[in-house]
Amino acid sequence: MNAKRITTMGLLTAVALIIFVIEAQIPPLVPVPGVKLGLANIITVYAMFALGPRDTFMILMVRILLGSVFAGSLMSMLFSLGGGICCFLVMLLLRRILSQDQIWICSVIGAMAHGIGQMAVTVAVYRTGQLLIYLPVLMLSGMIAGAFTGMCAQLVVKRMKSIK
Amino acid sequence: MIRTRTWIIILAALAAVLALLSFFSLTAKKEGKTVQILQDGVVIEEIDLSTVTSERSFTVEWTGGGSNIITVQPGRIRVTEADCPDRVCVDQGWLSDQAAPIVCMPHRLMIRIKDSGGPDAVSQ
Repeated sequence: MNAKRITTMGLLTAVALIIFVIEAQIPPLVPVPGVKLGLANIITVYAMFALGPRDTFMILMVRILLGSVFAGSLMSMLFSLGGGICCFLVMLLLRRILSQDQIWICSVIGAMAHGIGQMAVTVAVYRTGQLLIYLPVLMLSGMIAGAFTGMCAQLVVKRMKSIK
Repeated sequence: MIRTRTWIIILAALAAVLALLSFFSLTAKKEGKTVQILQDGVVIEEIDLSTVTSERSFTVEWTGGGSNIITVQPGRIRVTEADCPDRVCVDQGWLSDQAAPIVCMPHRLMIRIKDSGGPDAVSQ
């Protein structure tokens, strides 16, 4: 691991954390438990396409762990972990079959996977399947937010390429 | 490589299905007058809303730190105060006949209408 890569990863982790902490200050847009914009996903998607899965996974884990320390709780960390890992695995598969102009699609499907992972943790914590009633809402809001964050990430990937 | 247009069609179809499901799940009704308050998946209190005659509030503490103030009125219940950062449970408003329960994720709290068929049929 060379110095440039470490610096890039450190920077991206810091940016993701800042986004995460700021987003936590925004009041929830819809009164449905678990729904949020997930702006820090921009960094995850960007890293996935610009750096590769290994670096992305490390950035993601550090962001989730530190993010819950700065602006969250043990519970929110568990939900983020469940969702984040599911999202990561799905994007890992999609990365190969999507072109640079389809990055946003990766983000949309990743966000849906995030909803499923988050719900799996929720069901385990609450020990009741009743909360599954919120799964469609969670996945739909994920698609919308994922499209937005994905487009942001796609823009960043393209812009950064022209800088290099 | 699948074309972007194909992807958009697939995703739009998925979104439409999810929107429909969301609508049904959020507007679904549930029979029953007894509500249960659960913490960590365990029922800590049961209230028969049909016997409530006047407004009453009480606090539910969470052992992990934090609390929620719950208010009952004749036929309905809600969270009126919470010291968690997002306060989604407060925004969720009154629960009277919805199948979707009120949830406070940070405090592992849930308020739901008790299942009419058998004691606690869903949770186990």
